[in-house]
Amino acid sequence: MSVVTSVFTLAEPDREAALVPRLAELTERHRRACEPYRRILDAIGAAPAYERVADFPWLPVRMFKTHELRSVPADQVFRVLVSSGTTGAPSRVHLDREAAAAQPRMLAATLRAVLGGRRLPMLIADTRSVVRDPTLSARGAGVLGMMNLGRDHTFVLDEQGRVDTEAVGGFLRRHGGEPFLIFGFTFMVWLHLRGLGADLSQGTLIHSGGWKRLAEQAVGNAEFRRTLAEECGLTRIHNFYGMVEQIGTIFLEGPDGDGLYCPDFATVVVRDPETWEEAPPGTPGLVEVVSTLPTSYPGHVLLTEDLGVVHGVDDGVWPGKRFSVLGRLPRAEARGCSDVYAQAEPGAVVPGGARAAEPGEAVVGGRGGGRV
Amino acid sequence: MRAQSDLDEQVEVTFPAPATVPAGALIGELASAGALGVGDERMIAFLTAFGRRLLRPALARRHPELGSLGFFLRPSELVRTLESMRGEHVRVPRGLVFHVPPANVDTVFVYSWALSALMGNRNVVRLSRRAGAVATAIVEALREALAEAEPAVRAAVSATQRLVSYGRSADVTAALSAACDLRVVWGGDRTVDEIRRHPLAPHARDLTFPDRSSFAAIKAAAWLDAPRSARVRAAQGFANDAYWFDQAACSSPRTVYWVGEPSGREAALADFTTHLWRVLAERGWGVDAAMAVEKRVATYGLAADGVAGSIAFHGNALANVTLAGDGVTAPGRWLGAGTFVHAGLSSPADLVPLVRRRDQTMTYFGFTRAELEELAQALAGRGVDRIVPVGDALTFHRVWDGVDLPAEFTRLVTVLP
Repeated sequence: MSVVTSVFTLAEPDREAALVPRLAELTERHRRACEPYRRILDAIGAAPAYERVADFPWLPVRMFKTHELRSVPADQVFRVLVSSGTTGAPSRVHLDREAAAAQPRMLAATLRAVLGGRRLPMLIADTRSVVRDPTLSARGAGVLGMMNLGRDHTFVLDEQGRVDTEAVGGFLRRHGGEPFLIFGFTFMVWLHLRGLGADLSQGTLIHSGGWKRLAEQAVGNAEFRRTLAEECGLTRIHNFYGMVEQIGTIFLEGPDGDGLYCPDFATVVVRDPETWEEAPPGTPGLVEVVSTLPTSYPGHVLLTEDLGVVHGVDDGVWPGKRFSVLGRLPRAEARGCSDVYAQAEPGAVVPGGARAAEPGEAVVGGRGGGRV
Repeated sequence: MRAQSDLDEQVEVTFPAPATVPAGALIGELASAGALGVGDERMIAFLTAFGRRLLRPALARRHPELGSLGFFLRPSELVRTLESMRGEHVRVPRGLVFHVPPANVDTVFVYSWALSALMGNRNVVRLSRRAGAVATAIVEALREALAEAEPAVRAAVSATQRLVSYGRSADVTAALSAACDLRVVWGGDRTVDEIRRHPLAPHARDLTFPDRSSFAAIKAAAWLDAPRSARVRAAQGFANDAYWFDQAACSSPRTVYWVGEPSGREAALADFTTHLWRVLAERGWGVDAAMAVEKRVATYGLAADGVAGSIAFHGNALANVTLAGDGVTAPGRWLGAGTFVHAGLSSPADLVPLVRRRDQTMTYFGFTRAELEELAQALAGRGVDRIVPVGDALTFHRVWDGVDLPAEFTRLVTVLP
């Protein structure tokens, strides 16, 4: 691969200018190639011209659970990613060869901003069995995807889920004095890294998966970062936000922990859920994720069910919007005499990733439709 | 019958007084309770006192559906119900009635229970643990009415009536099913199927209220000709029908059929939308962000499936869907609070092939009685149990889903001279 420079370069006006024509092209491509998508756009009367990113029609991310949405013929589908939602049907995301190749490349390019160009020794805050399970979970798929970016993979937990002090000790003796990568799901990191009593000061932690389980213990990002710094010397910490429905696109926390940043090929629009207009910085709303990566399915403009807030624009270490995800919108509750949710209720939890994640496939994060 | 050990499972009693008792003990208490008669004076006294509490302005303002319930329990209404039961046979209570109301409509259980109690039955009502604020208000009102009742009334009610809740214990449901003389199951197809797995005693029977859906039919020319005040009133009534229970009540309209010439239908729909939107705005009725997303998911899904031809949102509270083509039928299912599928018909007779067994209530505007009776005849039992004016969809009647409830809650004894 040629040397790819940082993907955190575009200030907001330049980003808009670069994204709008590309998104317009994608919208028309998907309109032509994906019949259900065309029908949706026709029904809501969405038509060009689109002047700003916020003008593009969005799809609710849950549509990938309820409908098969793809813009390539069935015989060109190279891989179907199946998220494992904890409730309801899984999301299904259809990739052709090109899209399947682009997503790990862009994921790597995004993380290069904090990991550098070399493949680093990698400590994983999880157990090896999570990637061996034949019905791979989204968590397992996420770990597998990240493993591409590292070497000498060492799992913090043994097969029984206990901390493997010997393995961790060996890893740190080999690599503890040079830069190394630590990856894990946020709650696994919190559970198992703190008590390690190890010096992780040369490590860079990449974590994702959402704050819900930590929020239940009243642990927020600030305390997470402070505690890991105090107890393990870990100061290079980057959370990220991403979802299977926009595979390959992640929104990465800056070095100071002051919010998530968008790579150049993506952005977010936080919308006021009453007016659906873009909310100004500082005002929470629903997070719409925008990315030019989805070429084989109409996932380039998606309204998530996550609440978020833009903190600032072009005012942080990297250009573009700086935002946080605040939590998940609760599921709508209706009164009524019958089981109106019968269709939406899970019959069983569908194990995810089974068809999705072959080794090397990155199913990142568990937000959006598929949760970890 | 179940072994006694199955009856050790604990049941939380919320009425007449909070307690936790084994299911077996609960059934035993009710089996040995003294008998009430049909239209027992003590029960009438209690129901009317309870109904008066529901009509108190503060409560009725907070939960308008409790006002309707209070109205239903007025002495004159109860007497009318009893009078309608007179006949050549002697009516007697069925005995022990086990009610399984829906988890998410807080008032249905009261109608079902109150009519059964009026008919002199001993009742066990299984309340959902996720019962909402309205159910809590109802239980409080019941307890207060009991506390202030005459000793004889209090004793009779306490001995024969129970509101209970328990987890998803199949054993308790099985024990109550085996012990009861009549089982009343509300709350959808799945609940009915689930409850029916538990056998009843040979003489006992089920009264089931499965999933239903409802629609409105509006004569376009009549709408356009109606004075403004009548259209405003109809829009208010329609808003009540649809929005009180998030459009998820079985009798809330989900589809609106516009009957007449195409140009008139379009003009009428546009005017109707303006009036409905205004009612919602005036009352400040909206939906939250989660429901707004739910509506997008549901309506975009209809478009993706080729069912919806157009989707128009008027704020988050009101979404109008029109069908994609002539061969497409309205889905009839719940699409999120305040989502209406509009379809055009040339004449009321065009409704006949569209009606299905699960259709319950047709609310109407602008049709003559003769037209409606002709329609009812033409439907010939295909579906539709109630044809009522717009605004009356949720008005509970003792005949519900085509079932005469007080009659079902009693048995007849033949006495020949």
